[in-house]
Amino acid sequence: MSVATVPFSFNRLGLIAGNTFLEAVRQKLFNFLLLLAIGLVASAQFFREFNFGSSELKFIADFGFGALVFFGSALTIATTAQLFFSEIENRTALTLLAKPLWRAEFVFGKFLGVFAVIGVFCALTIGLMLALLWHREGQLMTADPEAFTAGRIIAYGDLVVVGLLQWLKFGVLTAIVLLIASFSNTNLFTVVTGFFVLVICHLQYLARDAWGKVDNAFLAAVVQGLSFLFPNFQLFNLADSIGQGGGVDGAVALRVAGYGLAYIAVIGGLAVYSFRNREI
Amino acid sequence: MSTPTAAISIKGLTKDFAVTLRGVKLRAVDALNLEVAEGQVYGLLGPNGSGKSTTIKILLGLLEPTVGDVRVFGVPSSQVEARRNVGYLPEAPYFYRYLSGRELVRFYARICGVSGSILKARVDEVIAWVGLSGAADRRVGTYSKGMLQRIGLAQALVHDPKLIVLDEPTAGVDPVGSAEMCELIVKLKQQGKTVLITSHLLAQIEDVCDRVAILDRGKLIVEGSVLELVGQRDRQALIVDPLPAADIEALRGWLAARGHSLNAVEQPRARLDQLFLSKVSRPNRPGDASAGVGSNEVPLDAKP
Repeated sequence: MSVATVPFSFNRLGLIAGNTFLEAVRQKLFNFLLLLAIGLVASAQFFREFNFGSSELKFIADFGFGALVFFGSALTIATTAQLFFSEIENRTALTLLAKPLWRAEFVFGKFLGVFAVIGVFCALTIGLMLALLWHREGQLMTADPEAFTAGRIIAYGDLVVVGLLQWLKFGVLTAIVLLIASFSNTNLFTVVTGFFVLVICHLQYLARDAWGKVDNAFLAAVVQGLSFLFPNFQLFNLADSIGQGGGVDGAVALRVAGYGLAYIAVIGGLAVYSFRNREI
Repeated sequence: MSTPTAAISIKGLTKDFAVTLRGVKLRAVDALNLEVAEGQVYGLLGPNGSGKSTTIKILLGLLEPTVGDVRVFGVPSSQVEARRNVGYLPEAPYFYRYLSGRELVRFYARICGVSGSILKARVDEVIAWVGLSGAADRRVGTYSKGMLQRIGLAQALVHDPKLIVLDEPTAGVDPVGSAEMCELIVKLKQQGKTVLITSHLLAQIEDVCDRVAILDRGKLIVEGSVLELVGQRDRQALIVDPLPAADIEALRGWLAARGHSLNAVEQPRARLDQLFLSKVSRPNRPGDASAGVGSNEVPLDAKP
Protein backbone atom coordinates (compact mmCIF):
# COMPACT_ATOMS: atom_id res chain seq x y z
CA MET A 1 0.00 0.00 0.00
CA SER A 2 1.46 3.34 -0.94
CA VAL A 3 1.09 6.20 1.50
CA ALA A 4 2.21 9.79 1.52
CA THR A 5 5.44 10.05 3.41
CA VAL A 6 5.92 12.44 6.31
CA PRO A 7 8.93 14.60 5.39
CA PHE A 8 11.43 15.91 7.92
CA SER A 9 9.95 19.20 9.07
CA PHE A 10 11.86 22.23 10.31
CA ASN A 11 8.53 23.57 11.55
CA ARG A 12 8.10 20.62 13.94
CA LEU A 13 11.76 20.85 14.90
CA GLY A 14 11.23 24.53 15.74
CA LEU A 15 8.15 23.68 17.82
CA ILE A 16 10.10 21.16 19.90
CA ALA A 17 12.96 23.64 20.28
CA GLY A 18 10.60 26.44 21.29
CA ASN A 19 8.86 24.28 23.86
CA THR A 20 12.22 23.09 25.23
CA PHE A 21 13.39 26.69 25.53
CA LEU A 22 10.18 27.69 27.30
CA GLU A 23 10.51 24.80 29.75
CA ALA A 24 14.18 25.60 30.44
CA VAL A 25 13.77 29.29 31.20
CA ARG A 26 10.98 28.46 33.63
CA GLN A 27 13.30 26.23 35.62
CA LYS A 28 14.88 27.54 38.79
CA LEU A 29 18.25 26.04 37.83
CA PHE A 30 18.61 28.28 34.79
CA ASN A 31 17.70 31.42 36.69
CA PHE A 32 19.90 30.44 39.63
CA LEU A 33 23.01 29.79 37.51
CA LEU A 34 22.37 32.88 35.41
CA LEU A 35 22.16 35.05 38.50
CA LEU A 36 25.31 33.44 39.93
CA ALA A 37 27.26 34.01 36.72
CA ILE A 38 26.07 37.59 36.39
CA GLY A 39 26.84 38.21 40.04
CA LEU A 40 30.33 36.80 39.63
CA VAL A 41 31.06 38.82 36.50
CA ALA A 42 29.70 41.95 38.12
CA SER A 43 31.85 41.39 41.17
CA ALA A 44 35.06 41.19 39.10
CA GLN A 45 35.76 44.89 39.72
CA PHE A 46 35.89 44.21 43.45
CA PHE A 47 38.70 41.66 42.96
CA ARG A 48 40.94 43.94 40.94
CA GLU A 49 43.59 43.83 43.62
CA PHE A 50 43.95 40.06 43.06
CA ASN A 51 44.98 40.29 39.43
CA PHE A 52 48.10 38.15 39.90
CA GLY A 53 50.23 40.53 37.90
CA SER A 54 48.16 40.66 34.72
CA SER A 55 46.62 43.89 33.57
CA GLU A 56 43.43 44.90 35.31
CA LEU A 57 41.35 44.81 32.14
CA LYS A 58 42.66 41.38 31.20
CA PHE A 59 41.82 40.20 34.69
CA ILE A 60 38.22 41.37 34.30
CA ALA A 61 38.01 39.60 30.92
CA ASP A 62 39.54 36.40 32.29
CA PHE A 63 37.28 36.52 35.31
CA GLY A 64 34.22 36.97 33.09
CA PHE A 65 35.17 34.13 30.77
CA GLY A 66 35.96 31.96 33.78
CA ALA A 67 32.46 32.51 35.12
CA LEU A 68 31.03 31.88 31.66
CA VAL A 69 32.91 28.60 31.21
CA PHE A 70 32.24 27.30 34.71
CA PHE A 71 28.55 28.10 35.01
CA GLY A 72 27.93 27.60 31.31
CA SER A 73 29.33 24.05 31.46
CA ALA A 74 27.26 23.21 34.55
CA LEU A 75 24.15 24.73 32.99
CA THR A 76 24.67 22.92 29.69
CA ILE A 77 25.07 19.48 31.26
CA ALA A 78 22.34 19.85 33.87
CA THR A 79 19.80 21.50 31.58
CA THR A 80 20.29 19.09 28.69
CA ALA A 81 19.94 16.05 30.92
CA GLN A 82 17.00 17.51 32.84
CA LEU A 83 15.04 18.57 29.77
CA PHE A 84 15.59 15.22 28.07
CA PHE A 85 14.66 13.07 31.04
CA SER A 86 11.70 15.22 32.05
CA GLU A 87 10.14 14.17 28.75
CA ILE A 88 10.87 10.50 29.40
CA GLU A 89 10.04 10.37 33.11
CA ASN A 90 6.90 12.50 32.84
CA ARG A 91 5.84 10.48 29.80
CA THR A 92 5.26 13.56 27.69
CA ALA A 93 7.59 11.85 25.21
CA LEU A 94 4.98 9.11 24.81
CA THR A 95 2.35 11.56 23.65
CA LEU A 96 4.80 13.45 21.49
CA LEU A 97 6.42 10.47 19.76
CA ALA A 98 3.00 8.90 19.14
CA LYS A 99 2.42 11.83 16.75
CA PRO A 100 3.75 11.86 13.18
CA LEU A 101 7.12 13.12 14.40
CA TRP A 102 10.57 11.86 13.46
CA ARG A 103 12.84 11.02 16.34
CA ALA A 104 15.52 13.10 14.61
CA GLU A 105 13.16 16.09 14.90
CA PHE A 106 12.78 15.37 18.60
CA VAL A 107 16.52 15.08 19.27
CA PHE A 108 17.57 18.08 17.16
CA GLY A 109 14.64 20.08 18.56
CA LYS A 110 15.90 19.36 22.05
CA PHE A 111 19.40 20.34 20.95
CA LEU A 112 18.29 23.65 19.47
CA GLY A 113 16.14 24.46 22.50
CA VAL A 114 19.03 23.93 24.90
CA PHE A 115 21.44 25.69 22.53
CA ALA A 116 19.13 28.72 22.52
CA VAL A 117 18.97 28.71 26.32
CA ILE A 118 22.76 28.59 26.55
CA GLY A 119 22.88 31.34 23.93
CA VAL A 120 20.78 33.60 26.17
CA PHE A 121 23.05 32.75 29.11
CA CYS A 122 26.20 33.56 27.10
CA ALA A 123 24.72 36.76 25.66
CA LEU A 124 23.74 38.11 29.08
CA THR A 125 27.03 37.13 30.75
CA ILE A 126 29.26 38.46 27.94
CA GLY A 127 27.11 41.56 27.54
CA LEU A 128 27.60 42.38 31.21
CA MET A 129 31.32 41.67 30.99
CA LEU A 130 31.70 43.96 27.97
CA ALA A 131 29.78 46.73 29.74
CA LEU A 132 32.04 46.39 32.79
CA LEU A 133 35.18 46.44 30.64
CA TRP A 134 33.96 49.47 28.69
CA HIS A 135 33.14 51.32 31.86
CA ARG A 136 36.45 50.50 33.57
CA GLU A 137 38.50 51.21 30.46
CA GLY A 138 36.78 54.60 30.25
CA GLN A 139 37.75 55.33 33.86
CA LEU A 140 41.36 54.31 33.20
CA MET A 141 41.48 56.45 30.06
CA THR A 142 40.40 59.45 32.09
CA ALA A 143 42.86 58.72 34.89
CA ASP A 144 45.85 57.98 32.64
CA PRO A 145 45.29 59.31 29.08
CA GLU A 146 48.91 58.71 28.04
CA ALA A 147 48.45 54.96 28.35
CA PHE A 148 45.64 55.13 25.80
CA THR A 149 47.03 57.45 23.19
CA ALA A 150 45.97 55.03 20.44
CA GLY A 151 42.43 54.81 21.83
CA ARG A 152 40.83 51.85 23.55
CA ILE A 153 43.03 48.78 23.80
CA ILE A 154 40.30 46.16 24.31
CA ALA A 155 39.16 44.48 21.10
CA TYR A 156 35.47 44.22 21.95
CA GLY A 157 34.58 42.58 18.65
CA ASP A 158 37.12 39.86 19.34
CA LEU A 159 35.63 39.30 22.78
CA VAL A 160 32.28 38.74 21.11
CA VAL A 161 33.92 36.25 18.73
CA VAL A 162 35.43 34.38 21.68
CA GLY A 163 32.04 34.41 23.38
CA LEU A 164 30.44 32.95 20.26
CA LEU A 165 33.06 30.22 20.17
CA GLN A 166 32.37 29.42 23.81
CA TRP A 167 28.67 29.16 22.93
CA LEU A 168 29.60 26.79 20.13
CA LYS A 169 31.68 24.74 22.56
CA PHE A 170 28.64 24.47 24.80
CA GLY A 171 26.77 23.32 21.69
CA VAL A 172 29.26 20.46 21.30
CA LEU A 173 28.80 19.65 24.98
CA THR A 174 25.01 19.69 24.54
CA ALA A 175 25.31 17.19 21.67
CA ILE A 176 27.55 14.97 23.82
CA VAL A 177 25.09 15.01 26.74
CA LEU A 178 22.21 14.26 24.36
CA LEU A 179 24.16 11.29 23.00
CA ILE A 180 24.69 9.98 26.55
CA ALA A 181 21.02 10.61 27.43
CA SER A 182 19.86 8.79 24.31
CA PHE A 183 20.97 5.44 25.77
CA SER A 184 21.18 6.23 29.49
CA ASN A 185 18.43 5.19 31.88
CA THR A 186 18.84 7.90 34.47
CA ASN A 187 19.35 11.61 34.71
CA LEU A 188 22.08 11.15 37.33
CA PHE A 189 24.17 8.82 35.14
CA THR A 190 23.88 11.30 32.28
CA VAL A 191 24.98 14.25 34.39
CA VAL A 192 27.92 12.42 35.99
CA THR A 193 29.10 10.98 32.67
CA GLY A 194 28.65 14.38 31.06
CA PHE A 195 30.99 15.98 33.59
CA PHE A 196 33.56 13.20 33.06
CA VAL A 197 33.49 13.76 29.33
CA LEU A 198 33.78 17.52 29.88
CA VAL A 199 36.99 16.98 31.85
CA ILE A 200 38.31 14.58 29.21
CA CYS A 201 37.55 17.09 26.46
CA HIS A 202 39.43 19.80 28.34
CA LEU A 203 42.42 17.52 28.92
CA GLN A 204 42.46 15.58 25.69
CA TYR A 205 45.15 17.80 24.21
CA LEU A 206 47.51 15.87 26.49
CA ALA A 207 46.63 12.69 24.59
CA ARG A 208 46.99 14.55 21.32
CA ASP A 209 50.46 15.67 22.36
CA ALA A 210 51.36 12.21 23.61
CA TRP A 211 50.63 10.11 20.55
CA GLY A 212 53.70 11.39 18.72
CA LYS A 213 55.88 10.32 21.63
CA VAL A 214 54.55 6.77 21.95
CA ASP A 215 56.89 4.23 20.35
CA ASN A 216 54.39 1.37 20.08
CA ALA A 217 52.47 1.89 16.83
CA PHE A 218 49.31 0.22 18.14
CA LEU A 219 49.25 2.31 21.31
CA ALA A 220 49.98 5.42 19.30
CA ALA A 221 47.01 4.63 17.06
CA VAL A 222 44.77 4.08 20.10
CA VAL A 223 45.84 7.39 21.65
CA GLN A 224 45.36 9.13 18.33
CA GLY A 225 41.91 7.58 17.94
CA LEU A 226 40.92 8.72 21.42
CA SER A 227 42.10 12.21 20.70
CA PHE A 228 39.74 12.33 17.71
CA LEU A 229 36.90 10.68 19.62
CA PHE A 230 36.73 13.49 22.16
CA PRO A 231 36.69 17.06 20.88
CA ASN A 232 39.49 19.31 22.09
CA PHE A 233 37.83 22.06 24.12
CA GLN A 234 41.11 23.91 24.59
CA LEU A 235 40.89 24.99 20.95
CA PHE A 236 37.95 27.23 21.83
CA ASN A 237 39.96 29.29 24.32
CA LEU A 238 41.18 32.16 22.18
CA ALA A 239 40.83 34.83 24.83
CA ASP A 240 44.38 34.77 26.18
CA SER A 241 45.73 37.64 24.12
CA ILE A 242 42.67 39.86 24.55
CA GLY A 243 43.06 42.54 27.19
CA GLN A 244 46.72 42.95 26.43
CA GLY A 245 46.20 44.64 23.13
CA GLY A 246 46.14 41.41 21.13
CA GLY A 247 43.27 40.08 19.06
CA VAL A 248 41.77 36.95 17.59
CA ASP A 249 42.95 35.63 14.24
CA GLY A 250 39.80 35.46 12.08
CA ALA A 251 41.02 32.45 10.13
CA VAL A 252 41.71 30.54 13.34
CA ALA A 253 38.28 31.46 14.70
CA LEU A 254 36.64 30.19 11.52
CA ARG A 255 38.58 26.92 11.68
CA VAL A 256 37.56 26.42 15.31
CA ALA A 257 33.93 27.17 14.43
CA GLY A 258 34.07 24.60 11.63
CA TYR A 259 35.64 22.13 14.04
CA GLY A 260 32.82 22.66 16.55
CA LEU A 261 30.08 22.44 13.94
CA ALA A 262 31.55 19.22 12.55
CA TYR A 263 31.54 17.63 16.01
CA ILE A 264 27.96 18.82 16.63
CA ALA A 265 26.84 17.25 13.35
CA VAL A 266 28.59 13.93 13.97
CA ILE A 267 27.68 13.59 17.66
CA GLY A 268 24.13 14.80 17.01
CA GLY A 269 23.81 12.19 14.26
CA LEU A 270 25.00 9.49 16.64
CA ALA A 271 22.47 10.68 19.25
CA VAL A 272 19.67 10.40 16.69
CA TYR A 273 20.82 6.93 15.66
CA SER A 274 20.96 5.80 19.28
CA PHE A 275 17.59 7.35 20.16
CA ARG A 276 15.90 5.75 17.13
CA ASN A 277 16.56 2.37 18.68
CA ARG A 278 15.48 3.38 22.16
CA GLU A 279 12.31 1.80 23.47
CA ILE A 280 10.17 4.45 25.15
CA MET B 1 -3.19 -10.08 3.61
CA SER B 2 -5.33 -7.88 5.78
CA THR B 3 -8.65 -6.60 4.55
CA PRO B 4 -8.60 -3.11 3.07
CA THR B 5 -10.78 -1.75 5.84
CA ALA B 6 -8.72 -3.07 8.76
CA ALA B 7 -7.78 -0.13 10.95
CA ILE B 8 -5.43 -2.34 12.95
CA SER B 9 -3.86 -5.57 11.82
CA ILE B 10 -1.65 -7.53 14.21
CA LYS B 11 -0.17 -10.81 13.00
CA GLY B 12 2.01 -13.12 15.04
CA LEU B 13 3.15 -10.35 17.36
CA THR B 14 5.69 -11.37 19.97
CA LYS B 15 7.59 -8.97 22.19
CA ASP B 16 10.41 -9.97 24.52
CA PHE B 17 12.13 -7.69 27.01
CA ALA B 18 15.61 -8.45 28.29
CA VAL B 19 15.36 -8.42 32.08
CA THR B 20 18.92 -9.37 33.02
CA LEU B 21 22.34 -8.83 31.55
CA ARG B 22 22.63 -12.60 31.07
CA GLY B 23 19.99 -12.41 28.39
CA VAL B 24 17.01 -13.71 30.37
CA LYS B 25 13.94 -12.43 28.63
CA LEU B 26 10.41 -11.64 29.66
CA ARG B 27 7.78 -12.38 27.03
CA ALA B 28 5.26 -9.53 27.27
CA VAL B 29 3.26 -10.42 24.16
CA ASP B 30 3.10 -13.93 22.76
CA ALA B 31 2.05 -14.68 19.16
CA LEU B 32 -0.84 -12.23 19.20
CA ASN B 33 -3.21 -11.99 16.25
CA LEU B 34 -5.84 -9.25 16.15
CA GLU B 35 -7.75 -7.36 13.54
CA VAL B 36 -9.83 -4.28 14.25
CA ALA B 37 -12.18 -3.17 11.49
CA GLU B 38 -12.64 0.49 10.69
CA GLY B 39 -15.44 2.12 12.69
CA GLN B 40 -15.36 -0.32 15.59
CA VAL B 41 -14.92 0.42 19.27
CA TYR B 42 -12.57 -2.34 20.35
CA GLY B 43 -11.75 -3.17 23.95
CA LEU B 44 -8.42 -4.66 24.94
CA LEU B 45 -8.81 -6.26 28.36
CA GLY B 46 -6.55 -8.06 30.72
CA PRO B 47 -4.97 -7.95 34.14
CA ASN B 48 -1.86 -5.90 34.88
CA GLY B 49 1.11 -7.28 32.97
CA SER B 50 -1.03 -8.99 30.36
CA GLY B 51 0.60 -7.12 27.48
CA LYS B 52 -2.06 -4.50 26.70
CA SER B 53 0.17 -1.44 27.04
CA THR B 54 3.05 -3.16 25.25
CA THR B 55 0.75 -3.96 22.34
CA ILE B 56 -0.40 -0.34 22.22
CA LYS B 57 3.16 0.96 22.34
CA ILE B 58 4.14 -1.27 19.43
CA LEU B 59 1.07 -0.07 17.56
CA LEU B 60 2.26 3.52 18.08
CA GLY B 61 5.83 2.81 17.01
CA LEU B 62 7.19 3.43 20.50
CA LEU B 63 8.46 -0.16 20.73
CA GLU B 64 9.75 -2.51 18.05
CA PRO B 65 8.18 -5.97 17.85
CA THR B 66 10.53 -8.90 18.41
CA VAL B 67 8.55 -10.90 15.85
CA GLY B 68 5.42 -10.15 13.91
CA ASP B 69 3.71 -7.65 11.72
CA VAL B 70 1.69 -4.70 13.04
CA ARG B 71 -0.07 -2.36 10.65
CA VAL B 72 -2.25 0.70 11.04
CA PHE B 73 -4.49 1.24 8.01
CA GLY B 74 -2.08 -0.97 6.09
CA VAL B 75 1.07 0.93 7.04
CA PRO B 76 3.72 -0.80 9.21
CA SER B 77 3.49 0.69 12.69
CA SER B 78 7.23 1.41 12.82
CA GLN B 79 6.84 4.03 10.09
CA VAL B 80 6.08 7.65 10.96
CA GLU B 81 3.37 7.62 8.27
CA ALA B 82 1.38 5.13 10.32
CA ARG B 83 0.85 7.72 13.04
CA ARG B 84 -0.65 10.32 10.73
CA ASN B 85 -4.12 8.91 11.34
CA VAL B 86 -3.74 7.99 14.99
CA GLY B 87 -4.63 9.94 18.11
CA TYR B 88 -3.32 8.64 21.42
CA LEU B 89 -4.37 9.29 25.00
CA PRO B 90 -1.83 7.65 27.35
CA GLU B 91 -2.69 6.21 30.73
CA ALA B 92 -2.58 8.88 33.47
CA PRO B 93 -1.45 11.54 31.03
CA TYR B 94 1.01 14.19 32.11
CA PHE B 95 1.35 17.28 29.99
CA TYR B 96 3.48 20.41 30.04
CA ARG B 97 2.19 22.02 33.22
CA TYR B 98 3.27 25.53 32.30
CA LEU B 99 1.08 25.64 29.17
CA SER B 100 -2.59 26.52 29.25
CA GLY B 101 -5.03 23.93 27.92
CA ARG B 102 -5.46 25.92 24.72
CA GLU B 103 -1.68 26.32 24.24
CA LEU B 104 -1.20 22.61 24.80
CA VAL B 105 -3.78 21.54 22.22
CA ARG B 106 -2.43 24.15 19.83
CA PHE B 107 1.11 22.80 20.29
CA TYR B 108 0.07 19.24 19.48
CA ALA B 109 -2.07 20.44 16.58
CA ARG B 110 0.92 22.16 15.03
CA ILE B 111 3.09 19.08 15.61
CA CYS B 112 0.47 17.14 13.63
CA GLY B 113 0.59 19.67 10.80
CA VAL B 114 -2.65 21.53 11.51
CA SER B 115 -1.89 25.10 10.52
CA GLY B 116 -3.14 28.22 8.86
CA SER B 117 -6.73 29.38 9.12
CA ILE B 118 -8.13 26.11 10.46
CA LEU B 119 -5.74 25.88 13.41
CA LYS B 120 -7.59 28.19 15.79
CA ALA B 121 -11.00 26.91 14.76
CA ARG B 122 -9.96 23.31 15.19
CA VAL B 123 -8.35 23.91 18.60
CA ASP B 124 -11.43 25.77 19.86
CA GLU B 125 -13.66 23.06 18.45
CA VAL B 126 -12.03 20.09 20.18
CA ILE B 127 -11.68 21.99 23.46
CA ALA B 128 -15.39 22.76 23.39
CA TRP B 129 -16.17 19.20 22.37
CA VAL B 130 -14.45 17.76 25.45
CA GLY B 131 -16.14 20.38 27.61
CA LEU B 132 -13.14 22.47 28.62
CA SER B 133 -13.94 25.83 27.03
CA GLY B 134 -14.32 27.45 30.42
CA ALA B 135 -10.90 26.23 31.59
CA ALA B 136 -8.98 26.42 28.32
CA ASP B 137 -6.89 29.39 29.40
CA ARG B 138 -5.94 27.91 32.75
CA ARG B 139 -2.57 26.26 33.18
CA VAL B 140 -2.66 22.49 32.76
CA GLY B 141 -0.86 22.20 36.10
CA THR B 142 -4.07 23.32 37.83
CA TYR B 143 -6.29 20.70 36.14
CA SER B 144 -7.98 17.83 37.97
CA LYS B 145 -7.46 14.24 36.78
CA GLY B 146 -10.73 14.25 34.88
CA MET B 147 -9.81 17.51 33.17
CA LEU B 148 -6.39 16.11 32.27
CA GLN B 149 -8.08 13.14 30.63
CA ARG B 150 -10.34 15.44 28.66
CA ILE B 151 -7.56 17.78 27.52
CA GLY B 152 -5.65 14.59 26.64
CA LEU B 153 -8.54 13.49 24.50
CA ALA B 154 -8.64 16.93 22.88
CA GLN B 155 -4.96 16.69 21.88
CA ALA B 156 -5.57 13.19 20.57
CA LEU B 157 -8.44 14.38 18.37
CA VAL B 158 -7.12 17.73 17.22
CA HIS B 159 -5.73 16.48 13.89
CA ASP B 160 -8.95 14.56 13.17
CA PRO B 161 -7.43 11.05 13.21
CA LYS B 162 -9.32 8.00 12.01
CA LEU B 163 -8.04 5.80 14.85
CA ILE B 164 -8.07 6.85 18.50
CA VAL B 165 -6.12 4.79 21.04
CA LEU B 166 -7.21 5.27 24.64
CA ASP B 167 -5.05 3.62 27.28
CA GLU B 168 -7.01 3.37 30.53
CA PRO B 169 -8.93 6.59 29.83
CA THR B 170 -10.90 6.42 33.08
CA ALA B 171 -8.09 5.41 35.44
CA GLY B 172 -8.27 7.52 38.58
CA VAL B 173 -11.28 9.46 37.33
CA ASP B 174 -14.48 9.72 39.38
CA PRO B 175 -17.68 8.02 38.14
CA VAL B 176 -19.00 11.27 36.66
CA GLY B 177 -15.80 11.80 34.69
CA SER B 178 -15.80 8.16 33.63
CA ALA B 179 -19.36 8.40 32.40
CA GLU B 180 -18.54 11.53 30.44
CA MET B 181 -15.55 9.79 28.87
CA CYS B 182 -17.81 6.90 27.84
CA GLU B 183 -20.25 9.34 26.28
CA LEU B 184 -17.41 10.87 24.30
CA ILE B 185 -16.34 7.43 23.09
CA VAL B 186 -19.88 6.67 21.94
CA LYS B 187 -19.94 9.97 20.05
CA LEU B 188 -16.63 9.12 18.40
CA LYS B 189 -18.14 5.85 17.23
CA GLN B 190 -21.13 7.73 15.85
CA GLN B 191 -18.71 9.83 13.81
CA GLY B 192 -17.23 6.69 12.29
CA LYS B 193 -13.97 6.74 14.22
CA THR B 194 -12.20 3.56 15.19
CA VAL B 195 -11.45 3.44 18.89
CA LEU B 196 -9.08 1.05 20.64
CA ILE B 197 -9.58 1.21 24.39
CA THR B 198 -8.02 -0.54 27.36
CA SER B 199 -9.67 -0.39 30.75
CA HIS B 200 -9.98 -2.25 34.01
CA LEU B 201 -13.55 -1.01 34.40
CA LEU B 202 -15.19 -3.90 32.59
CA ALA B 203 -18.74 -2.56 32.94
CA GLN B 204 -17.76 0.50 30.94
CA ILE B 205 -16.05 -1.58 28.28
CA GLU B 206 -19.18 -3.66 28.00
CA ASP B 207 -21.27 -0.52 27.52
CA VAL B 208 -19.22 1.07 24.76
CA CYS B 209 -17.34 -1.67 22.92
CA ASP B 210 -18.42 -3.58 19.84
CA ARG B 211 -15.76 -6.23 20.24
CA VAL B 212 -13.31 -7.15 22.98
CA ALA B 213 -10.16 -9.19 23.30
CA ILE B 214 -8.93 -10.55 26.61
CA LEU B 215 -5.19 -10.98 27.06
CA ASP B 216 -3.44 -12.90 29.81
CA ARG B 217 0.34 -13.19 30.13
CA GLY B 218 0.69 -11.84 26.63
CA LYS B 219 -1.60 -14.40 25.02
CA LEU B 220 -4.99 -13.86 23.47
CA ILE B 221 -7.51 -15.79 25.54
CA VAL B 222 -10.86 -14.69 24.16
CA GLU B 223 -11.91 -12.51 21.26
CA GLY B 224 -15.32 -11.63 19.91
CA SER B 225 -18.28 -9.26 19.97
CA VAL B 226 -19.56 -8.26 23.39
CA LEU B 227 -22.95 -9.80 22.61
CA GLU B 228 -21.38 -13.12 21.62
CA LEU B 229 -19.20 -13.29 24.68
CA VAL B 230 -21.52 -12.22 27.49
CA GLY B 231 -25.01 -12.82 26.04
CA GLN B 232 -26.77 -16.05 27.17
CA ARG B 233 -28.48 -17.08 23.98
CA ASP B 234 -30.26 -20.06 25.57
CA ARG B 235 -31.98 -17.94 28.19
CA GLN B 236 -34.39 -14.97 28.41
CA ALA B 237 -35.39 -12.58 31.19
CA LEU B 238 -38.90 -11.19 31.52
CA ILE B 239 -39.26 -8.07 33.67
CA VAL B 240 -42.74 -7.84 35.19
CA ASP B 241 -44.51 -6.02 38.02
CA PRO B 242 -44.16 -7.73 41.42
CA LEU B 243 -46.15 -11.00 41.51
CA PRO B 244 -47.60 -12.74 44.57
CA ALA B 245 -46.11 -16.13 45.43
CA ALA B 246 -49.22 -17.93 44.20
CA ASP B 247 -48.98 -16.30 40.79
CA ILE B 248 -45.31 -17.24 40.53
CA GLU B 249 -46.21 -20.86 41.24
CA ALA B 250 -48.96 -20.69 38.63
CA LEU B 251 -46.50 -19.28 36.12
CA ARG B 252 -44.03 -22.03 36.94
CA GLY B 253 -46.71 -24.63 36.27
CA TRP B 254 -47.78 -22.92 33.04
CA LEU B 255 -44.20 -22.94 31.79
CA ALA B 256 -43.67 -26.57 32.85
CA ALA B 257 -46.77 -27.60 30.90
CA ARG B 258 -45.05 -26.18 27.78
CA GLY B 259 -41.70 -27.83 28.45
CA HIS B 260 -39.97 -24.77 29.92
CA SER B 261 -38.63 -24.06 33.36
CA LEU B 262 -38.61 -20.99 35.54
CA ASN B 263 -34.96 -20.87 36.60
CA ALA B 264 -34.86 -17.83 38.84
CA VAL B 265 -37.12 -15.24 40.41
CA GLU B 266 -35.19 -12.20 41.59
CA GLN B 267 -35.57 -8.49 41.95
CA PRO B 268 -33.80 -6.50 39.21
CA ARG B 269 -31.13 -4.14 40.48
CA ALA B 270 -29.86 -0.91 39.05
CA ARG B 271 -26.08 -0.72 38.70
CA LEU B 272 -24.36 1.23 41.43
CA ASP B 273 -22.69 3.58 38.94
CA GLN B 274 -26.11 4.38 37.44
CA LEU B 275 -27.47 5.17 40.91
CA PHE B 276 -24.41 7.34 41.61
CA LEU B 277 -24.80 9.28 38.39
CA SER B 278 -28.51 9.84 39.00
CA LYS B 279 -27.87 11.25 42.48
CA VAL B 280 -24.70 13.30 41.97
CA SER B 281 -25.01 16.60 40.16
CA ARG B 282 -22.94 16.73 37.00
CA PRO B 283 -20.88 19.82 36.37
CA ASN B 284 -22.56 22.40 34.23
CA ARG B 285 -20.25 23.77 31.58
CA PRO B 286 -21.78 26.88 30.07
CA GLY B 287 -20.31 27.82 26.73
CA ASP B 288 -19.48 24.29 25.68
CA ALA B 289 -22.53 24.18 23.48
CA SER B 290 -20.60 26.42 21.14
CA ALA B 291 -18.82 23.37 19.78
CA GLY B 292 -19.47 23.92 16.14
CA VAL B 293 -18.84 21.83 13.10
CA GLY B 294 -15.53 22.70 11.56
CA SER B 295 -14.23 22.27 8.10
CA ASN B 296 -12.80 18.81 8.75
CA GLU B 297 -13.90 15.70 6.97
CA VAL B 298 -15.29 14.14 10.11
CA PRO B 299 -17.00 16.82 12.15
CA LEU B 300 -17.22 16.85 15.90
CA ASP B 301 -20.86 17.45 16.11
CA ALA B 302 -21.86 18.03 19.70
CA LYS B 303 -20.81 18.63 23.24
CA PRO B 304 -20.71 15.76 25.69
